[in-house]
Amino acid sequence: MNGFTHLHVASAFSGHYGVTRPETMAEAVAASGSNALAITDRDGLYGSVKHIGACLKLGVSPIVGVDLAILNEDGSFLARSAILSHGHDHGVGWAKLCEIVSVAHASRAKSGQLRKENQIGIKRSQLAKIIGEAGGCTVLIGPDSDVGRAVLAGPKQLAASLLAAWREAFKSPGAIGVEIVSHLTEPGTAYSTEQAQRMLSLADALSIPTVLTNSVRYLEPDDALTADVLDSARHLEPLGLFTPQPNAQAWLKPALAMQALAIEICGEASRALQLLETTERLADRCRLDPVSDCAWGKPKTPEKSALGIDGNPFEVLWQKAHAGIDYYYRSANAALLSQVHHRLGQELITINKLGFSTYFLTVADVAQMIRDMKIRSQARGSGAGSLTNYLLGISGVDPIEHDLLFERFLSTERSTLPDIDIDVESARRHDIYRAIFKRYGSNRVTLLSMQSTYRGRGAMRDSGMALGLEDDQIDDIAKNMWRFSARSFRGALGTKPELSALATAVEEDRRMNLLVDITERLDRLPRHISMHPCGVILGDSTLLQRTSVEPSGLGLPMSQFDKDDMDPMGLLKLDVLGVRMQSAMAYAVREISRVRGEKLDLDNIPRDDPETFKTIRTTNTLGIFQIESPGQRELTGKHQPTEFNDLTIQISLFRPGPMKGNMIAPYLDGRHGFAKADFIHEDLVPILKETWGVVIFHEHVLRILNVMTGCTLAKADEMRRSLENPRVAQTVKQFFHEKTRERGYSEAVIARVWEILEGFGSFGFCKAHGAAFALPTYQSAWLKTHFPTEFLAGLFTHDPGMYPKRLLMAEARRLGVKVLPLDVNKSSDEYLVEPEGIRLALTEVQGVSENEVARIIEEQPFKDIADFYLRVKPTRRTLERLALLGAFDSFGGKRRSDEAGDDPEITRGDIIARVRQLNAIKTRPASEANQPTLDFQVLERLPTGNVEPTLTEKVSAELSLMKLDVSEHVIELYRPMLEEMGVVNANELVGLRNKSDVLIAGVRVATQTPPMRSGKRVVFISLDDGTGCSDSTFFDEAQARCSHILFNNRLLLISGKTRRTGVRGVSIMAENAWDLREMWEQWTKARPQFRERAAG
Amino acid sequence: MRRMDENVSVSINRTGEPVGFLWRNSTYRVRTKPIRWFARRDWWLEAARVQRGVGASVLEVEVWRMVASKAEEPGQKTQFEILNTATSTDGAKAIWRLVKVYD
Repeated sequence: MNGFTHLHVASAFSGHYGVTRPETMAEAVAASGSNALAITDRDGLYGSVKHIGACLKLGVSPIVGVDLAILNEDGSFLARSAILSHGHDHGVGWAKLCEIVSVAHASRAKSGQLRKENQIGIKRSQLAKIIGEAGGCTVLIGPDSDVGRAVLAGPKQLAASLLAAWREAFKSPGAIGVEIVSHLTEPGTAYSTEQAQRMLSLADALSIPTVLTNSVRYLEPDDALTADVLDSARHLEPLGLFTPQPNAQAWLKPALAMQALAIEICGEASRALQLLETTERLADRCRLDPVSDCAWGKPKTPEKSALGIDGNPFEVLWQKAHAGIDYYYRSANAALLSQVHHRLGQELITINKLGFSTYFLTVADVAQMIRDMKIRSQARGSGAGSLTNYLLGISGVDPIEHDLLFERFLSTERSTLPDIDIDVESARRHDIYRAIFKRYGSNRVTLLSMQSTYRGRGAMRDSGMALGLEDDQIDDIAKNMWRFSARSFRGALGTKPELSALATAVEEDRRMNLLVDITERLDRLPRHISMHPCGVILGDSTLLQRTSVEPSGLGLPMSQFDKDDMDPMGLLKLDVLGVRMQSAMAYAVREISRVRGEKLDLDNIPRDDPETFKTIRTTNTLGIFQIESPGQRELTGKHQPTEFNDLTIQISLFRPGPMKGNMIAPYLDGRHGFAKADFIHEDLVPILKETWGVVIFHEHVLRILNVMTGCTLAKADEMRRSLENPRVAQTVKQFFHEKTRERGYSEAVIARVWEILEGFGSFGFCKAHGAAFALPTYQSAWLKTHFPTEFLAGLFTHDPGMYPKRLLMAEARRLGVKVLPLDVNKSSDEYLVEPEGIRLALTEVQGVSENEVARIIEEQPFKDIADFYLRVKPTRRTLERLALLGAFDSFGGKRRSDEAGDDPEITRGDIIARVRQLNAIKTRPASEANQPTLDFQVLERLPTGNVEPTLTEKVSAELSLMKLDVSEHVIELYRPMLEEMGVVNANELVGLRNKSDVLIAGVRVATQTPPMRSGKRVVFISLDDGTGCSDSTFFDEAQARCSHILFNNRLLLISGKTRRTGVRGVSIMAENAWDLREMWEQWTKARPQFRERAAG
Repeated sequence: MRRMDENVSVSINRTGEPVGFLWRNSTYRVRTKPIRWFARRDWWLEAARVQRGVGASVLEVEVWRMVASKAEEPGQKTQFEILNTATSTDGAKAIWRLVKVYD
């Protein structure tokens, strides 16, 4: 007998249980000469598509099942079983498997809420009903079942009657089997040979077929150590505090070992042989035909009826797209119109050839639905290169005006479904999801899932927890883990200065040594499944027979497949991505309309506004989409954009590819006239004019190939893709040289152009993508220029950027926009624009509940503190915090003359005292609103004689209760010391000469370690000091000097030399850095008069 | 049952099963087919390193449960448990330890 088919195998996609990726196991099986392998992930079909794909590639028959808890009628645990789908039955088994898994998860969702405490599982009666008399699946009753437990403990007759009950429940032939497993555990315990023997004789006595499995969790015995750590993560308990796996036997044993095991269990060869044969018989029955069973690779889009169209989808698409011309090109001249018609015709022919009409209609339908909901949207990615998408209203960028190519997006040379991603207002994303479910029906729509994987810090945290390290210790190590793969954790110990303390600990402490080892083991393993941030799957009405679903945190069903599974399964994924900037801009537009009565259509503003570009060129780009990061600010200073296309180029340049490909410097040199642009050949001038001869965009490569070889753009895009693969690149090279010679280019030109194309590789960027990004960049810059107050209110409310909100507050101060203090009569759950400025939102106050905020808004206005107290019924903490933050200050002011006495002004101190009186009352206000509490209703008497808090105290309260410094910048607390030391303000840097020695201080707002050409690590730290942002660069030597504070401290003092990077660009080449608070402590030792200042 | 931890020298047959052992100057013969099983170790308390590829011997250990008696007193059968503390793959260098005696 040769070969053995493993029928019970958990892959790494069995969250916190399996260890090995399905592809790796399929490869091992193929290498061993076996020709079939099952995957039975815990609780789902998570790894099944990857398993099927790998098996198909390797010529191994895929088998798919699930490892699922089966429950008694009362919901209590009965068994954990592998349930396998039969194959070659036109998808009957697969559909039932999907349904079984979906039902097992559905019990967790009650009234739209995900209830974690309900276990995932299916009642045996439900399971039997789904399998029914027609069959389609086989349920294996194994060691972890009522029968398995009874053969070990219970009276003899019990096990037999329990097994009989299973046989009773499942009517169809072959619906159940007894699973014989021995992990060679201690005799008499679960998974022992003894248990397997008893299961075997019991099954024989009842004439139920038996199969042998090894209930596999990992590929090799060594992986069992990883499994221990995963168990700890699953139990959320350190190793040693829960019952661990009994030994390391649950590996994918080779056929010989399984045959030996069969003999060991059966005690004789003939029964063993029979056991192995029935195992193979079941395996044969379960071999899937992916095409007929799972509809593998067959595209599935919503039916015409679901889209509400009659007739031929292509004709409908044709009409819709042409109707768009009248709207989007209403003022076009004849030449442009003929260009539009010609290009649209070509695009539509391609779409029709590929059979994607329904796909485009579907996306257009969704886009229209989003617009009808009055939600801002914008297509991103290569889809912006399609005129069809523009005319259907999917994309807002005109591909003809911006010279974008359809072929980069879609061509007849490729047949995978194209990706169209739509960015929408983040705050409305879930509304859109629900609307999609409603429009197409929940049988055609599911959310997409995402398998997150263990990365550096996460792997270290779970490893640390497994070893029982203290939380603080884990936090300390995590803080210093920057930009390296946890897989090479041990290597990083020796090279990264910030890990030197850990490296010493590793030498001295055995546990730290283990920590490094198991962190390396966990790295890259799937960690948990969650809702994909933007993916929606749209299918036809058979969708739920193709994919299993589980409830998401949102309450809507989510497929257990991830984005990589979409194409193989022929499923259409639409990315509806929530972008906070879109929400912020929508909010600004709404405030402009509310406050000024101006209706603004952001998508129709002129795209050549000089004021907007002036704003951008100052490099004060905080809050502007895509160009606010320190690196982009520096580039903005050098680049000095003047038109929309400049933004597209700048966004595309600041990517790892172009940075590694050294495209920035030659482009800037050409632009600023430092070097003469070199176009190599006059044919390339029209193509590369916009980038001064530098090849940046995929579109450039397409056009160069098209012009120089005469090939089509579609073919050119295929060649561009081939260039990324060195093996195929050779044929492109041959083609390029042949054709260009034919067309009479000189050898020198050919050689130089080829060198550029070859080196281009993965460096370039899709221009359509850059242009799609540039639109919100321009729109946000325009808003910041013309409506800074409303725009900042939008930023405060929706928090879109990379920086903490307190930095945006500093930007507001810089722009002269006032941030108004909290006021219980005026503050809302959003940042409202008022004539004097922007009112702080109540939601910023930490510890105030959503309900309290809602009550405050509902009950506004209030006439005094008692009135507020009675109607809002705040917690003591909320009341006190609001008082400390000045939210009741508007009840202050002048005392009435009859009460004034010698203390005419009501201070915040008086208000705080009043609030504390109220908080001292033992009973809280009752729920009836109109209770007769004369105590409160007599005229509010505010205490007198309490002093107003100092500015320092106010800022300190703001920082601790809102994490914001509203009254003044936190750095002001340290001002006396900074002045004495001669620290420079960020806004003064631009006036300094190159290479001046400077000291700069501030709050850390960003730390970045971008990939560098040299491969060496560079750390960028941005500090905010209230006058602006300074950007410091730390190279190796400087990193070594201050590694201990590089990633840790919030308030920093940095010394270095200025480095001029452009007209408006100055950064600091850092030499050293210190903890500002520590310095302050030392400084104030000699100057006790300042002691109190920065206490907060 | 008594727990202990003493070195014993074990003789095995061709398939690797113990057939007899020398303990406290007495020779014992195994009287029934011994049962092999694998026990686990709490590596997080003992191991110095658990890097990828370190091998399962950090985690598990082979145990033989057997009924044996002294060569000169064949009727006095006792159940023993003996650990093979080396990896199961290099049987030649096996280090055996007697850990349990079921008196």
